[in-house]
Amino acid sequence: MAAHCESGTVTALLNHGGLEITEPMVFGIASGIFFGYFESSNFSFPMFIVRNKPGSMRRNIAKRMGVKFYNKSFKKPQQGIDELDRLLADGHPVATQVDFYYMEFLPEYIRAHINVHFVNIVGKNEKNYLVSDAYHRDKAELSVEVLNKARFVGGYMAPKGFLFYPFHIPENIDFNKAIIKGIKKAAFDMTKLPVPFVGIKGMRKFAKKVTGWPELARDIDHLSHEIMKINVLLEDQGTGGAGFRFLYATFLQEAAQKLNDSQLEGMSKRMMAIGDDWRNISYFAAKIGKNRDLGKERLNELSQMIYNMADQEQAFFSELYKMVK
Amino acid sequence: MKEKEAHIDFDLHPLVLYVEKEDGSYGRIESASFLSSNYLDDYLEKIKKWDRELKDKLEKGDISPVYYYMIMLEFGESDLASRVGISKRKLRKHCKMAAFEKISLKLLKRYADVFDVPVSNMLNFIAINEKDQKRLKISTRKSNNPYITISKIEIQ
Repeated sequence: MAAHCESGTVTALLNHGGLEITEPMVFGIASGIFFGYFESSNFSFPMFIVRNKPGSMRRNIAKRMGVKFYNKSFKKPQQGIDELDRLLADGHPVATQVDFYYMEFLPEYIRAHINVHFVNIVGKNEKNYLVSDAYHRDKAELSVEVLNKARFVGGYMAPKGFLFYPFHIPENIDFNKAIIKGIKKAAFDMTKLPVPFVGIKGMRKFAKKVTGWPELARDIDHLSHEIMKINVLLEDQGTGGAGFRFLYATFLQEAAQKLNDSQLEGMSKRMMAIGDDWRNISYFAAKIGKNRDLGKERLNELSQMIYNMADQEQAFFSELYKMVK
Repeated sequence: MKEKEAHIDFDLHPLVLYVEKEDGSYGRIESASFLSSNYLDDYLEKIKKWDRELKDKLEKGDISPVYYYMIMLEFGESDLASRVGISKRKLRKHCKMAAFEKISLKLLKRYADVFDVPVSNMLNFIAINEKDQKRLKISTRKSNNPYITISKIEIQ
């Protein structure tokens, strides 16, 4: 199991390749921490993400640590199926992108159509693939037919059978340099990207827009569902915000030890406290959603809590950026 | 988050969480979903209610099965249209019976594939009394004909 599917698959593959590295370190070097608020007809309701763009963790690890990944997507499904089978036969565990909905070994109620889930495929028998999923305790079997469907569905961010594995891990990695670069990019993306719906700006947009959610919902139960999904997005699923703040705090603590930097240690404690405040928001959202206590006043309260997080994270990431500049 | 506050016992939905341990170091623990462990019943009630309300509308002809599945599976319109291979405008039309009743069997099958149901389920819903739900098992078997599935109802 891992905290997140993409950092989890990359970490497991690097560990398998002989590199001892933790998930928080992968997440931090890859600048995994992020925020974005999206209103798009690709989603059934406005949504936010709390991690960087799917696929970029692997790319950033390659760039900053010199790891070489074999990666490929496919126009023709049969080519992608054959390629996965060939790599498995050669003894490589392989990460592949799938529609989360088809991970039938997970409880039905948590499965949704999200095309950017990553799992490691570690084996195959006649009928099934052996799947290692960050959100499942044990390795699971998934039928060949279902995994193929999950890899080759269409739609927004269609997986196109995308797969990858590391084929070269350098012996001497300059972790200090990689850590600094990872922090710098994350802090830049959070505070300086000139896009109105990402980073701190995205957080403020979310805070502003959430008070208008009642006009978008079909009825009070639908509104309650969407408000309670704030908890899911902050805690449970791949976008995991509060969880990700804790993950990032753990990275900063590890980084502080590697770089022998007491300032970073202090920042790690601050990030842990920020995670706790996000967690308060997710608990609050779950409670008011359950109680259908979703009047104007309550949503203003929620909005104010999110504005406060934006202020906190702006101060935090601005300071972090100055430290590594 | 302190480790002692982080533990949730709920086997159905485990999670990895990074927490502050007693010695001040941060590290991973296996916990579980707060929402699932506390509010799963509320979620399942909502789903049941939507299912009931939408099926009422289906019976009256106010909505089409495409709309039913789109809402139940929480698809965004553009995402769904792209999966089916049609325009968003067409999809919106297919949400109403007037346009839905004119679509080809081939397109109906494409919708069914995306909704991950047999094509027959686009036009037929099976209702089982709540008290019999644990007693009856319905399994569906595909045939060589992509349009034909065999449903088997067994008493357990």
